[in-house]
Amino acid sequence: MKRLTVDELNLEGQPGAFAGTLMNSSADLVTRVCQGDSEAFRLVFERYSRPVISFIFDMVNDRGLAEELTQETFVRAYRAMRTMRRETKLSTWLFGIARNVARESIRARIRANSHVDLGDKAVMDLSDDKPVPVEGLLSKELNDVIRRSLAALDEDKRLVFTLKVLHQCSYEEIAAITGFSIAKLKTDLHRARAEMRRRVSPYAGVGYEV
Amino acid sequence: MKCEVYLEVLEEYLDGELGSEEQRQVNEHLITCASCAREFAALTAEQEIFARYDREIEVSPGAWSGIEARIVPVAETSYGWWMTIAATVILTIGLLSVFLLTPEKQTATRTPEKQIEPEQLFARFTEPKVEKKTRIKRTIKPGTPDNPGVLSSDVAYLDLDDQDTVNHFEQTQNLLRSIRNATVSEGDDEIDVSYDKALSQRLLNENVVLRRDAEMKAKFPTKTLLTDLEPLLIDIANLPDHARPEEVRAIKERVDKTEIVAALIEYRDRGTNNR
Repeated sequence: MKRLTVDELNLEGQPGAFAGTLMNSSADLVTRVCQGDSEAFRLVFERYSRPVISFIFDMVNDRGLAEELTQETFVRAYRAMRTMRRETKLSTWLFGIARNVARESIRARIRANSHVDLGDKAVMDLSDDKPVPVEGLLSKELNDVIRRSLAALDEDKRLVFTLKVLHQCSYEEIAAITGFSIAKLKTDLHRARAEMRRRVSPYAGVGYEV
Repeated sequence: MKCEVYLEVLEEYLDGELGSEEQRQVNEHLITCASCAREFAALTAEQEIFARYDREIEVSPGAWSGIEARIVPVAETSYGWWMTIAATVILTIGLLSVFLLTPEKQTATRTPEKQIEPEQLFARFTEPKVEKKTRIKRTIKPGTPDNPGVLSSDVAYLDLDDQDTVNHFEQTQNLLRSIRNATVSEGDDEIDVSYDKALSQRLLNENVVLRRDAEMKAKFPTKTLLTDLEPLLIDIANLPDHARPEEVRAIKERVDKTEIVAALIEYRDRGTNNR
């Protein structure tokens, strides 16, 4: 089984993404940005903004905030691009910054509210007591269930689940982004999957008998 | 191999994270075992559901302008060079006057560590004992600037990772000082370390991230210091919320023996060049 990398599956060829040519490979863009070419950075933004905003949204569950934090991520990335090691993948590096930005925001909200509230009171209502729908839900409703289930995961589990299942990062990439050991991320991922299964399966309808 | 063994690696198999030999074995097993094949089909179905997840989020057209406004280098504006030159001249004059006029202030900022006040030394003998449960007394407020008189801190010139490391070391230093200066009396049944424990758990996670980062960027002095901190943070994080006096005392002694607080201060004073 071939494992698709984050660049192959998610980042290149997204709507709005810049067509990848040899002249505009990620490494070339980084070099040009370091030489002060702000147009090259605009191309970096076009290529990576969608996966980055999706990832941040998965982490903070707030559209307005996700947009704000995406901007912050790219501003930080621009300022720190000279410190990026050549062997580091741009996508992994950007996800690492996005993860820090999202984490700081979550921490700030915890400090402000003294508890984690991802802005959705219905998050905790996803329990096993809810009636199981007879048929599969419409995709919009299922999306909503997934979004609320994600928000109900604790931060580490949400992070690894998002990176692996929703962004198809490899374990190695997740370890580089999060700093977690492979053993920890495997455990968190397994538990996150089980928790998501428990919450989503009653709503997923036919064909999902877990 | 039994089915349990295969079930254990099924998620890794789905993720494409198994080695080629293991992958081949799982492949063969799934052909012959209906029960494991069902499990795998369920996992695949689950994966497909998440693949359909649509966040309904788009990058707004104005997002780039917001970023662009924040990243345009000052030098690119028409008055940019003049501003840069003026700022450099003002900064140089400022630094020179600080250096020439107040040399004693500079030496004062080199003082390595806050001394324990006499009243702290005698606190354990003089403080009236109100209840058995004591809470660790903190002598340093987190986030207190070390050198408030300094014109500008090195931190302003560090890259983001270095800033994270400096902040991390500052918080860790405060935690260790708080443990080291804690008054532990023989008569105490237990000591409430819940705050220190929670803080240590957070710092431990941060420590692991920063250590890996320092290793990747070949910042060996930073990495060594982070490596030295880890066992202490683990031990504090593993304390029960209400620890026995001997448990706290053991950590206090280790903080003293390892001179880790002095190492943190030395790192801070060393500046950005030797990290």
